[in-house]
Amino acid sequence: MEHVDMKQENDRKITPLGFYFALLGLATLLFGMADILVWAGIRPGIEVGILEIAGDDFFRWAWGGFVMVCAGIFMLAGSARVETLQQSAKVVLGGVLVWVIAGTDIFARLCVAIPAGEASPAFLNSCSGFLTEFAPPYTPAMLLIPFTLGIVYLIRMHANDDS
Amino acid sequence: MVFSSDARWEMVDEITRQTVTYGTYKQTLGAVLGDLTVKPLTGIPVAVAALYAFWSVFTSFAGELVTDGFMVKFFDGLWLPWFQAIWPDPGSWHYFLFIGNPAADTCFEAFGMLTSGLFVSVGVVLPAVFVFYLMMTLLEDSGYLPRLAVLMDTVLHRIGLHGYAIVPIILGLGCNVPAVTATRILETKKQRFIMMTLLAIFIPCGAQLGIMMSIIPDLIGVVILCLIIGFGIFGFVLNKIIPGENPEILVDVPPYNWPVKEYVIKKLWNRTKGFLKEAVPFVLLGILLVNLLYLGGVIQGLANLFEPVFVTWFGVPKETVGPLIAAFLRKDLAIAQLSIIPMTAYQMVASVVLVTIYFPCVATFVVMLREGWKELIAAIAVLFVVVFIYGGLIHAVGILLGVA
Repeated sequence: MEHVDMKQENDRKITPLGFYFALLGLATLLFGMADILVWAGIRPGIEVGILEIAGDDFFRWAWGGFVMVCAGIFMLAGSARVETLQQSAKVVLGGVLVWVIAGTDIFARLCVAIPAGEASPAFLNSCSGFLTEFAPPYTPAMLLIPFTLGIVYLIRMHANDDS
Repeated sequence: MVFSSDARWEMVDEITRQTVTYGTYKQTLGAVLGDLTVKPLTGIPVAVAALYAFWSVFTSFAGELVTDGFMVKFFDGLWLPWFQAIWPDPGSWHYFLFIGNPAADTCFEAFGMLTSGLFVSVGVVLPAVFVFYLMMTLLEDSGYLPRLAVLMDTVLHRIGLHGYAIVPIILGLGCNVPAVTATRILETKKQRFIMMTLLAIFIPCGAQLGIMMSIIPDLIGVVILCLIIGFGIFGFVLNKIIPGENPEILVDVPPYNWPVKEYVIKKLWNRTKGFLKEAVPFVLLGILLVNLLYLGGVIQGLANLFEPVFVTWFGVPKETVGPLIAAFLRKDLAIAQLSIIPMTAYQMVASVVLVTIYFPCVATFVVMLREGWKELIAAIAVLFVVVFIYGGLIHAVGILLGVA
C-alpha cells in the first residue's frame, strides 16, 4: 500500500519539494544571469541590502555567473518528479555547483582576511580586522547557501534507499 | 595432467558457485552523479565549474594569501633592505650578480640571484606549485580526473590526442618537467610528439602563471585565451601533417571517493619535493647566468641583432628584446623583467604570449632531450615556425583591432 502511495507521489509532476527546488533553481538562474549582465556593463553594479554583484572581474562574474546559470538550469530540470533518483541527481548537481561558487567566494575572503594588508607593519591581521572581512555585503551564491541545504535532505533520502 | 573440455567447464562452474553471488543491481545517487559528469550536456558545465574552483583556489591561496599577503612584505620589507645594507660595494660585479640593482625597492626590480632568485622560487613559484599539486591530487583521488579524460576525449581526438592527454596538460600547468614525462601515457610516437611540442609551446607552467598573476592580473585572461586558441590551431595542424596513428582508448572510470588524507599528503610531498629538487636550482642558476650574460654584453648584442624582427614583426617595443632573449633561461624572470617596461596593454599581452610560446625553460629542455634527441630537434623546429607565425598573427589581429 505504502509502495503504491509512493508511486503515485512519484508520478505527480511537481511535489512541494519539487516546487521548492524549482523556486531555488529559478533564483539561482536569475542570479547567474544578473552576474553576467552586470559584468557585461548593463548596470555598473548592484547592491541591495546584504546582496552585492560587483561585476568588476570577468573570471568571478562572467565565468562564475555561467556556472550559476547552469546550476539553476540543473535544479529546474530536476524539480519535476524530484523524488526519483535520476531527477534528484540533477538537483544535487545544481546544488553542488552553487556550493563550488560560494565555497570559493568564502575561501577568497578568508585568504584576504588572514594577512594584515600592505599598509600595516604587522604580518597577521587583528581579530577585528579578520572578522570585518566577513561582514556583508555577500555574493548571490553565498546568500543561496542556507537555501541549498535542502539538497542534503535529498542526499540523505537516497543514502537511506541505498542502505 | 590434461583436462578435457567438459572437466574445465565443470571446474569453471564450481569456482563460479563458490565465488560469485547474484543479486539485483541498484543504482545509487553517486553512480547517477558519476554518469552525469561524463555526459557532455551536464558534464561540460561541471568541468567548467571544476576549472573555476581550481583557478579560484589557486589565485586566492598563492596570490592573495601567501605571495601578496606575506612573501612580498617579507622579501621587500626585510630581506632586500637587509642584503642591500650588508653586501659590500654596490658598484661591483658580485653585487650585480647576487643582489642586483642597488636602487631597487622591490625584489621584482632587483634581479639578483639572492634577491629576485629566492623571491621568485620561494615567494611566488613554490606556493603556486604547492596549491596546484594539492588541487590536482584532490581531482585525481576523488575520481574526477578519469571522467574529465572521457569528457575531453572527443575534443582532444581532433588534435591527434586522446582523453588521457588531459593529465600532462594539467600537470604542465604546474611544471612542464613532470608533464613531459607524463606524455608516456600516450600510445603512439605521433601522440607523444604532438603533446610534448604543444606542452613546450602553449602550456604556461605554475612559475609563469604565478608571475603573471602578480604583475598582469587584469590581462591574464587575454593571455590565456591567446594560448588556448594557439593550442587548438597548431594541435589541429600538427595532427594533419604528422604521419602516425591516433588509436582509441578504453578508460576504466572508478566510482567517486573521498580522497584519503594520507595518500594526498604523500603525493603532495613527493610532487613538491620533485619540483624543489628539479626546478628551484634552475631558477637560481638561470638568474645567475642571465646576469652573467648581461655583464658580458651578450644579451645586448643579441637584442641588437634581433631587434628588427621583434619590433617590426611582433610589434613589441625594443626594450623587450633583452628579456625575451633571456626568457630561454628563465621565462618567469623574463615576465618579471617585462613588468617594469612601460608598454600598452596590447604590447604587454603580445610580449607575455611570446615569452610563453618561446623556447621551453632549460629544465624542460633537459627532460625533452631525455625523451629523445630527434624529437627534441623536431619540436624546436616546430617551435620556431609557431613563434614566428603565431607572434605575427597576434600582431596582425592587434593592427586590425586598432590596438597594436
